Amino acid sequence: MTTVSIWRWPTPSGLPPLSAVASLSAVLVAMWLTAPLVEVDFVRLFGSLGKMVAFAGQLFVEPEWEYLPQLLDKMLETIEMTFLATMIALAVSLPLGLLAARNATPHVLVYRLVRDLLSLMRALPDLVWALVFVSAVGLGPLPGVMALAFVTVGFMGKFFAEIIEVVDHKPVEGVAAHGAGWLQVRLFAMLPQALPDFVGTVMYILDHNLRMATILGLVGAGGIGYDLVMSMRLFQYDRLILIALAIYLVVTLLDRLSDRLRSRIIHGTRA
Amino acid sequence: MGDSRYLSRFIKGVIIMSTILIESVFKRFPNGFEALKGVSADIAPGSFTVILGPSGAGKSTLLRLINGLETSTGGSVRIAGETLGKANLRKVRSRVAMVFQQFNLVERLSVATNVLTGRLAHRSWVGSVFYLFRNEDMDIVREVLARVGLTEKAWSRADKLSGGQRQRVGIARALAQRPKVILADEPVASLDPVSSEEIMGLLREICDRDGITVVVNLHQVDVAKRFADRIIGMNSGRVVFDGTPAELSPQALRTIYRREGMEHDNSLDLALAYA
Amino acid sequence: MNKPIETLFPQALPPRPHNLFPVWLAAALAALWLIVRDLEISFETLAYGVADMGEYFSRYRQPDFSDLPRYLELMGITLATALWGTVFALVVAFFLSPLAARNLSPHPLVYRAAREALNFMRAMPDLLLALIFVAALGLGPLPGALALGVHTAGFLGKFFAESLERVDQGVYEGVAATGANFPQLVMYAGWPSILREALGYVLYILDRNVRMASVLGLVGAGGIGLALHDTLRMFNYGQSAALILVILSTILIIDYASAWLRQTLN
Ligand SMILES: Nc1ncnc2c1ncn2[C@@H]1O[C@H](COP(=O)(O)OP(=O)(O)OP(=O)(O)O)[C@@H](O)[C@H]1O
Ligand SMILES: [Mg+2]
Repeated sequence: MTTVSIWRWPTPSGLPPLSAVASLSAVLVAMWLTAPLVEVDFVRLFGSLGKMVAFAGQLFVEPEWEYLPQLLDKMLETIEMTFLATMIALAVSLPLGLLAARNATPHVLVYRLVRDLLSLMRALPDLVWALVFVSAVGLGPLPGVMALAFVTVGFMGKFFAEIIEVVDHKPVEGVAAHGAGWLQVRLFAMLPQALPDFVGTVMYILDHNLRMATILGLVGAGGIGYDLVMSMRLFQYDRLILIALAIYLVVTLLDRLSDRLRSRIIHGTRA
Repeated sequence: MGDSRYLSRFIKGVIIMSTILIESVFKRFPNGFEALKGVSADIAPGSFTVILGPSGAGKSTLLRLINGLETSTGGSVRIAGETLGKANLRKVRSRVAMVFQQFNLVERLSVATNVLTGRLAHRSWVGSVFYLFRNEDMDIVREVLARVGLTEKAWSRADKLSGGQRQRVGIARALAQRPKVILADEPVASLDPVSSEEIMGLLREICDRDGITVVVNLHQVDVAKRFADRIIGMNSGRVVFDGTPAELSPQALRTIYRREGMEHDNSLDLALAYA
Repeated sequence: MNKPIETLFPQALPPRPHNLFPVWLAAALAALWLIVRDLEISFETLAYGVADMGEYFSRYRQPDFSDLPRYLELMGITLATALWGTVFALVVAFFLSPLAARNLSPHPLVYRAAREALNFMRAMPDLLLALIFVAALGLGPLPGALALGVHTAGFLGKFFAESLERVDQGVYEGVAATGANFPQLVMYAGWPSILREALGYVLYILDRNVRMASVLGLVGAGGIGLALHDTLRMFNYGQSAALILVILSTILIIDYASAWLRQTLN
């Protein structure tokens, strides 16, 4: 028995629930064990606060306005890469999603195979693929688009499959009962039901890909990322501030847009 | 003339120490709809009051005003001599408990923890945000759960209970507050007749034994007549009847449930015939 | 046999509502064509690339695991960075999200401020943040963890806030009506109602942070990414292949583990 204290938790024993204590301490122990790996050093952290403020101060310089045309050009390239990669991935993911949905796949083996393929495709981060594709086809937006599209198929195919798996079965039976063929059932009974969630997913992925496309340039795979890193490395803060601002604006804009669209789809209101 | 009426009302309020003193309260919602158009009532301590009225009469709005879940746009609500305002909101709420039609429990917490939320206002937030309570709080939980007959369910999750049981948890949570007033907004509207009887009996017993003032919104005229000391009838934001159950004549019911622009209301006649 | 009147005079259907799908499709295809032109993507390069791809990938055929212990240590650092970043994000989101939930926030101004803070954190790419933190803190995984933390705090905070907004208003009223104050309301009506959803989000963010942490090395923020970058630049395909395999298997393991955890939670 524990000593009777005047404080207690709302459990039969008065002690905190085991699951909560166990998971909390597991996380704390893991953090304590890994602290040396991450080189956590609070002295250094707080010591550098001043530096960080000073650095932030340096960022606010008169922007280099002559850079603006190039910036716009690069931002446009970033957006174009995002759009292109997402569209390619969309075209590939639709059939793959059908094959990877338990209730739509022609055979369990196909299902397993496609599922595993998809999880392999999304396992490596976009930047790793970008590295690989850059060394395969050279610098430029092409390897960036390839890397983005490749990883996006991995995610989109999985999301699509999961959406298809939860569609209502009754309309499917209804259409099949009228003698519709294999593909017809999928096109006329499953896809219409899944469509709103598909749109939500595509918006979400577009958002994700835009963020990704802004940093692909880091490895020479096109977009604004290259200029971003260079201006940072060369201490061209007059450029950096413009680039950061542009990324912030574009990302926020798409973020709001996709929020709007998704809530409109969820609440079913159409303008 | 009018002044002296208010004065006498005020003096009466002080002398008999009305627990709740509602003075010409108005409520206009942001969309412009006026749900309360000058409601006045004083409710004596330890009384059992039922508010009747058609849907949309403003019953819920009135109760929510008394608990501070809504703010009035005119007039005032005094509870045990204190005018309800932004500053004393929490203090007032700690004395005025609320029971809801949809129970409004935290589904994923245990019954005991739900009841303990009734103690939150009495605890500093430092301990309570870590879910720490005192043993005396737990004693209160044990006592109130025994009163509502849910001792065995103490550690079940709230979403595992039936509607009647959930409402009893709601009442236990209210009791755990050690309130002076319990406001119940259609507490039996989602329950079967037997559970309804149980819940109303429980509220009545709480009123009699603990001297807690109880105000209940109801739609069942027969239930109201059997349990209430006093009935207040509301229609489109105004008090149109105020008296004992015995005074609730068919004519009075007609006034309470009258519908705008309907001189001969068949539904009304039929409904009242069976009330 | 008399035919019913309707069949004799078939009624015209009401005009068919415009189906805009073909228009959208055409617009999208046109946009794609413009984009391909503008990005100067040459299909020749692509064709050669694809043709060479087989040969190119065959260079990765023989992974060189001679340096495996170092790779595993680097992967360990990567995982640790992701963990610290996620916990940091969780802590920040825990405090910010109730302020950023419209129905809980103590004041509309607080709500706006919290929302904007979260938006800002989300809008800054973590690699940019990592660059900045590396400049301020020096090389190493710590700036990486910080960058991940700040960026994903924006995501977690937004997800949490949206979940908190979806909780039935009655639950909040039930607890508020007892006289609970803001922190109590959050702890008793807010978090318990969204606990499972929130855990799902945290797992998702952890997953994402592991992926991201494995490339943060590119900007000097520790982890396995820098090693991969270096071996690729030196055309050392054997070691690159080994590094890629290490990353791949770690992420797959985490993927399966989190899928399993999600399933047991439900
Ligand atoms: N938040 C709000 N905004 C606008 N109008 C409201 C709001 N809440 C209530 N109302 C309106 O105020 C009027 C009174 O509502 P109230 O809920 O008090 O009625 P009630 O007497 O409790 O009805 P019921 O018996 O159906 O519960 C209704 O017409 C309702 O539409
Ligand atoms: Mg009501």
